Order: sequence, then C-alpha cells, then structure tokens
Amino acid sequence: IVSVFSPVGLQGSETTTPGRKSQSAVTGSARKVKDNAADWHNLILKWDRLNDEGSTMANKIVNLGFNKSSQKELQVMMAGQDTSASSNSENAFENSRELEEECDKLLSVVDKMTRIVSKMEKLVSSEKGIIDLETFQYGTGGRQTPLFQTWPTSQFADVSSKLYEAYKQELTLKRAILQELAHTTNPDLSMVYLSCWLYQPYTDDRAKLLLEGLLLETGHRPI
Amino acid sequence: MSKSVLFSFDQILKKCFQSLENNQKVWNSVLAECKPLMVSLGNLEEQLRAFQKVQIANTPLHTFPDLHQRLHFKLLQAVDIVLGKLTDKMCSLQSVRDAISNQVSGAFQLYEQNIGTLDLATCTQRSAVAPSIADMLEWLQDAERYYRQQFLRRKNVLLTLRADDLSLLESAPKRWESLETLSGEESISDTLFKVSFFIESQ
Repeated sequence: IVSVFSPVGLQGSETTTPGRKSQSAVTGSARKVKDNAADWHNLILKWDRLNDEGSTMANKIVNLGFNKSSQKELQVMMAGQDTSASSNSENAFENSRELEEECDKLLSVVDKMTRIVSKMEKLVSSEKGIIDLETFQYGTGGRQTPLFQTWPTSQFADVSSKLYEAYKQELTLKRAILQELAHTTNPDLSMVYLSCWLYQPYTDDRAKLLLEGLLLETGHRPI
Repeated sequence: MSKSVLFSFDQILKKCFQSLENNQKVWNSVLAECKPLMVSLGNLEEQLRAFQKVQIANTPLHTFPDLHQRLHFKLLQAVDIVLGKLTDKMCSLQSVRDAISNQVSGAFQLYEQNIGTLDLATCTQRSAVAPSIADMLEWLQDAERYYRQQFLRRKNVLLTLRADDLSLLESAPKRWESLETLSGEESISDTLFKVSFFIESQ
C-alpha cells in the first residue's frame, strides 16, 4: 500500500469528478500539465513565425548567391575592357555585404529556434517529473482517474517527447541548410534546400494532430 | 395591353443587366484571387522539378533519415492544397455562370410567351435612353455565352492538373492566363455602358 503522503498539494484533483475540471479547480499536476500544453502551443506558434521569416531570408541568400556567381562571370567577360570595371566591383562588394547580412539574419533565426527547442526539452523533462511523482504516489499502476478527459498521465509525456524529437530533427536540418545555403552553386540543390526549410519534412500532420489532441484533452480547445 | 407587357419586359431586362453588372464584379474578383494560387502552383512545380533532379544521397543532406520521401510528400501535399483552393474558386465561378444563365433564360422565356405583342417593329424600336429589345436580348445572349465558355475552358485547365504530372503543372499558369481575353471582358463592359441609361430609367 502506497502511503498518501504527498509533498505537492494535490487535494484539489482528488475531490473533483473525473473529466470535469473547471478552471479554478485545476491544481497540482493537472495545472502543470495544462500550462505545459499552453507552452507547447505558444512555442510552436513562435517556431512557425520564425520559419516564415527564415524562408524569406533563405530565398534572398539564394538569389544573392546567384547574383554573385553571375557577376563573377560578367567580370571575367569584361576583364579585357575597363570601362565599367569600377562599378562592377562596387556591385560585387554591395552584393557580398548584403549576402553576409542575410546570412547573419538567418543565423539569428536558427539561434532563436535553438532556444525554442531547448525550452521544448524542458517541457519533456517536466512531464517526466510529473509521471515520477505519480508513480511515487500511486505505484506503477498510476492514478485511478485521468487528470483530464481520458488520457493516462504517461500519454502527455509521450506526446511531448514525440513533438520534441520532431522539432529537434527539424532544427538539425535547418542548421545543415544554413551551413550550405550561401555557397551552393547547383541551383537545383539550392531549390531543394529552400523547399526543405519552407515545408519542414519532419514536422508533419502527425505532429499537428498530437498538438491538437493535447490542447483538446487539457481543455484549451473546446470539444 | 401591349404597354403593360412592354413595361414588365423592360423590368425583366433591367434585372438581367443589374445581375450581369454584379456578377461581372464577382467573376473578376474571384479571378483575381486565382492569380496568386496560380503563382504558387508554378513555384511548386519548380520545386518539384528541382527535387527530381537532385539525388539527396549525394548531397550534404544524406545523413537525414527518409528526407527524400518526407520532402516529396510535403511538396505533393502543398500542390493538393493549392488545387483544392482552386476548386473552391471554380465553385464561385460556377455560381456566377448559373446566375447569369438563369436570368437570361428567364428573359427569353418571357419574350417567347409574348411574341405576339413583341413584334418586329416593337423589338427594333430604340430611343435616346433605351436600346432596342432585339439589341438587348442579343447582348444578354452574348454575355451568357461568354461566361459559359470561360467557365468550361477554365474548368478544363484545372481538371487536367495532377500533382504528379509536372509538365501539365508547368504549363497551367500560362494556359490559365491565356484564357483571359481582353476583348471578351471589354464587350461585357461595353454592353453595360450601353444600357446604363436604360437601367437607371423608370
């Protein structure tokens, strides 16, 4: 028999009926889980915004990179004539400066995304902590009644971990794109990099469904 | 007796032209909304083409698991989404076509019912503010034909599109643009100018 000694106040969630939690009655683990769900939603919203910003920058980088290579061709062609040599080198300099600026901007976007993913990691460990606490209180069987509608507490950790893995993989891809984008000479490969950035192959419909399920379960979305 | 027939016929014609005026605006605004969708389609075609040319295994991205299938899926999904939106726009265009067709066939029905009263002399009579009935019926018929044909041609372009046929996707924006006949649009606007006094008259 597991003692009912609870270091964290969970009395609220014991007395209310299962599946019916008004805003004020959500305390303890349920409160934490609900807040985590809101955090997931906000982090993913931020990520999506950054993704759009980054896509614009990535497009500029590719275009500037092409300008650079076509300018080089132009310079080689005009090597014999020195009429517009100075304006050419001015353009090239301007181009390089712009290219560097856009790369810096994209780097800062990726840095912001890295911070988001590390916050996601914290959410995963928070969910794990909630499970550990529940195991301590109720034994390995877990609690009798679900925290919200139907999900066992382990499902929240499962969802968090799946979402985190997806975004972690996506971030690794974006880092790789960032490294390669500015100096890829193959236009088709550049286009594939841009597609990878914009369409995010690792955060798919499954991830969207997981998030929606999480928001529905915790009452953030009306059922 | 013939005066009241003439009067109610005039009212029907006015309603037809008013409906034509409103529907022309709706049609043009829906077409304007289709433009960016066509641009997206062109972009996606370019991306799919580049994707097909690149062997991901030979690129710095080869370490990423299942990247080829996942990206392909996402690109095809994006095409499907755009095609879905275009299908919705086609429904709006169909409503315009149907509305104009109904109005015009209503007018012609009334004409046939009153063919006794509306003889050649009456129908070819025109005034300072009103064109002749014959002219107006002709213009309405032309307008109805124009929208009917436009709708069919545009629907035909969309029906042939599939996400996996890149050559059709590539030519789609151009084919769509080519359907826009300046003369067709202008003749609708001209018609509305010609009947503008008539519509406003009592």
